[in-house]
Amino acid sequence: MTVKGKTLPQVDLPPLRQVGRPLRRVDALGKAVGATIYAGDFTMPNMLHGKVFRSSEPSACIKQLDVNKARALPGVACVLTADDLPDGKLITDMPGQTGQERRKGSDAPVLAARRVRFVGEPIALVAAETLAIAQQALELIKIEYEPLPGVFDPLEAMKPGAPVIHVPDNIVSSWKIRKGNTEAGLAAADLIVQNTFRVPFLDHAYIEPEAGVAWVDDQDVINIRVCTQVVEHFRSIAQAVGVPHNKVHVRGTMIGGGFGGKEDITVEIFLALLTKETRRPVRLAYTREESILAHSKRHPFIITHRTGVKKNGRITGAEIKMISDSGAYPYLSPYVLLYATVTSCGPYRIENLKVDSVSVATNNPFTSAFRGFGGAQAAVAYEQQMDEMAKALAMDPLEFRKINYLKTGDSNAIGQEIKSAVWLEEEAMQALAALGEKETISDDAIKVGQGFATTMQSYGRIMWFHDTSRSWVGIEQDGTVVVRCGAPDLGAGQANSLCQIAAEVLGVSLTDVTFYNSDSAVTPLAGTTTATRQLYMSGNATLKAARMVREVLLDHAAEHFKKEPSNLDLADNKVFIKSDPEQWLSLADLSKMCAADGLKLQHLALFRAPFTDKLNPENLQGDVFPDFTFSAHAIEVAVDTKTGEITVLKSVGCHDVGRAINPIAVEGQIQGGSAQGIGYALMEEVQVKDGVTRTPSLSEYLIPTAKDLPTTKAIILESGTGVGPFGAKGIGEPALTPAAPAVANAVANAIGVRIHDLPLTPQRVLAAVDRAKKG
Amino acid sequence: MLPEFELLMPRTLPEALEMMNESSRVIPLAGGTSLLVDLRGRISRPQMLINIGGLDELRGVRVEEGYVVVGSAVTIADLKHNVLIAKHGQVLQQATRVFANPLVRNRATIGGNLAYGSPAADAAPPLLVLDAEVELTCKDAKRTVPLKEFITGVRETVRHPRELVTAIRWPILPEGSVGVFHKLGLRKADAISVLSIAVMLHRKNTEDYAQVRIALGAVAPTPIRVTPAEELLSGGPLTPEVIARAAQLASESTHAISDIRGSAAYRKRVITALVKRLLTNLAEGTKEKKHNESEGYHS
Repeated sequence: MTVKGKTLPQVDLPPLRQVGRPLRRVDALGKAVGATIYAGDFTMPNMLHGKVFRSSEPSACIKQLDVNKARALPGVACVLTADDLPDGKLITDMPGQTGQERRKGSDAPVLAARRVRFVGEPIALVAAETLAIAQQALELIKIEYEPLPGVFDPLEAMKPGAPVIHVPDNIVSSWKIRKGNTEAGLAAADLIVQNTFRVPFLDHAYIEPEAGVAWVDDQDVINIRVCTQVVEHFRSIAQAVGVPHNKVHVRGTMIGGGFGGKEDITVEIFLALLTKETRRPVRLAYTREESILAHSKRHPFIITHRTGVKKNGRITGAEIKMISDSGAYPYLSPYVLLYATVTSCGPYRIENLKVDSVSVATNNPFTSAFRGFGGAQAAVAYEQQMDEMAKALAMDPLEFRKINYLKTGDSNAIGQEIKSAVWLEEEAMQALAALGEKETISDDAIKVGQGFATTMQSYGRIMWFHDTSRSWVGIEQDGTVVVRCGAPDLGAGQANSLCQIAAEVLGVSLTDVTFYNSDSAVTPLAGTTTATRQLYMSGNATLKAARMVREVLLDHAAEHFKKEPSNLDLADNKVFIKSDPEQWLSLADLSKMCAADGLKLQHLALFRAPFTDKLNPENLQGDVFPDFTFSAHAIEVAVDTKTGEITVLKSVGCHDVGRAINPIAVEGQIQGGSAQGIGYALMEEVQVKDGVTRTPSLSEYLIPTAKDLPTTKAIILESGTGVGPFGAKGIGEPALTPAAPAVANAVANAIGVRIHDLPLTPQRVLAAVDRAKKG
Repeated sequence: MLPEFELLMPRTLPEALEMMNESSRVIPLAGGTSLLVDLRGRISRPQMLINIGGLDELRGVRVEEGYVVVGSAVTIADLKHNVLIAKHGQVLQQATRVFANPLVRNRATIGGNLAYGSPAADAAPPLLVLDAEVELTCKDAKRTVPLKEFITGVRETVRHPRELVTAIRWPILPEGSVGVFHKLGLRKADAISVLSIAVMLHRKNTEDYAQVRIALGAVAPTPIRVTPAEELLSGGPLTPEVIARAAQLASESTHAISDIRGSAAYRKRVITALVKRLLTNLAEGTKEKKHNESEGYHS
């Protein structure tokens, strides 16, 4: 791959004072000194300890469940089974929205009643005076199963006669793209390249397992303090428990990582049921092993690409088939599949495209959201396919991609016009240039390779969800600022970004801003911290609210200075005349003056994403996402061809983030996404055999350590063309998406042969090296 | 969470042995890096543990009557930095550097690593090629068992329930001995071995090797010595041909296991590759040493 220096398109972004600066995050000190309080840290007087009794069978009828001995154990406050519950379901569909169709009968029961469908399915809840008694009570629960035939492979599950997980059949969801004439496109090709790629189950492996504490207050409100990406689950919790929506109050804590695994309800309903039953505070915290058993996994996919291409490198048509394993309950599988389908062919112009995707129920662990949300799985396939096509054409992988890249104004796979900047070519060049020359290693057994991937990942939710966010910004009488916004902070700096935006607009320092967030009753509802949407949605809402406060301040200052508001500006905790900055008034004095005049110095703003109607699932042509982030990642690896071991030597991520609100936070996302992507490529896999997880702890489920990772060089580009505040695009999920396929392409480059399945274990590498020798 | 158990806290070794003698159901606890994990996971449920990790008599590394003697409660981190181990057990010291992670190394003991009986114990292959022995002590007696006879199966050893592992010892190596350890894991640190291998060469003269020892971990129900390959190699020069044959033989003579970390076929392939690579590197290393008489790279 040759990379010549290429200058970036010139973009003049308006100068800003707070936004764009690498300021120390408002939440940094607490984390560094251990002062941040997480959900598992909370205790309450007179508190009980909860535990969950779970299925050991992947597919069975519960013949008998006897909890009498457990109930009789001294110190046990209550034992709940399905018989004790209102007829509530655990709603597994997209949270926080209204009017969405759901597949009937396939939401998960809160507790299994007669039938269990996966290992780990909750059956009974215990609350006791101590954790030890709760544990002992679990062991006194007697259960008798009658095993039923299970199905553990989505291909098997689609066959007629396969055991059915939920009537009528195992098809959870399917989508189609029909664009142009694929048959004609493929017929016009000089060459057809076909490959099937597989990706495994993954665990999110966040550092903080699920935890919470709940109590009933004097208004009969069930309060739940919990680590969650979605405080707006309060409605689903209320429905499941059988109380009005306004009788559940979710108080989100700072989160020790979520990556989509805390997007679905985890401990909340169990806590609500136990505290409602006992009228005492209850704590429930999962161990790592229970966390792995209890929460969703990343979907395994089987993806087949059949792509036609001309000798000159132009793609003429593509046929793509995607199959995902949804596990025992659907959760977000239909939407993960939609993301995968929309990005199935990547950021390339393909006029003739046919995509068929299907998500299939099995008796495996259930699958749901995971950073990248189907877009990451799709990228693993399409970026390897692009390299395979370049190889078949004997073309440079970047030169080949350049012929096919989407450009601004083009329409993507679903016919949605891309309005923001598409800097894929520049990103790839920057990343490869930073990677530099291949290292030379004298040992013949060690092969060095380089590879890259360029990807598209949406930010913001599916537009037919009609997404909204609210944020409240106020200025106090001493000129300090408060932001109140329901956005949960995953640890990625969501709250900090909102503060930095408010600081920019109101002319104060970041340290002058205090935030309150993630509370379903007290802070304005801001939607989920998922889908790379918080900066886009709540960033815009905060910007809007802050500008409303600014307008009041400037209007009042204009009267004071006898100038037009447009001649004034706010900075350094002052309002001043632009042409004569020596004439100023402190924000504290201005705020007091406004307060004395009874002016409104606090504003609640609502931001609405563009709304559309649901697309026709039979052809998927229209707009689905507000915008996309386009990214590149380049990797250099050394492969030991005698043992199959892979060492990542270099890693570079290059992303157009539109505008970096805080470059340190952006770099943090790129570093973390890169680490997670390298883990995806090299080692991570929840191994499931006949429905049983063979990697039940972090001793078997391996994630990369510091020794497995080079420092990723983060290259941040700013086109200023995003739909977020100040032209920002999202970076949370996009940071991960290109890393895994870049590793796969680097390994293929090193050993000269493609390994179609992730992770690239030493065993698979060695088998591929053997194939290459024979080949 | 840990289930409840009684914990005995002896202050001296004789006191510990007295306690052990009273019941055959007392389980020794040293670093706890494996045992406590099993307790938490309800894999084993002993009623009574005895904490021997803090006993002074089980600490310390010394050279005694031609042997290197390591107390069973010496931690992996201690061994990693010990000067006597650097001099007399470099192959073991190599293993301590890639043993689990720094936190585990600070707690885990050499005695515990062996007495737990894991096929993947990373201290075992180096100690096997050092011809180490395990000292077992009970209230009234002491006996020494060769390490290769000590571990008899997955989590099975010849230790009697009333005995404690009190020391590990091996004869001081002859001049000109070299050893090397290699660990293959699914990641670069803090991983259970897919395979670990230790090789030791004793030079007879400038060309020939009096003895070659090869040990493998994580490939069979116990850590093993690869005797057929050792016999083929010992006594003569290490030519590329004989190395290749020995590597093949090492693989063929091993009944490799399959588990979540790798298949038997993969393990057999890698045995061949690594035996060949390590022997070749060691032979070349000793040749180079002969030429320039430089320091280092001896066991």
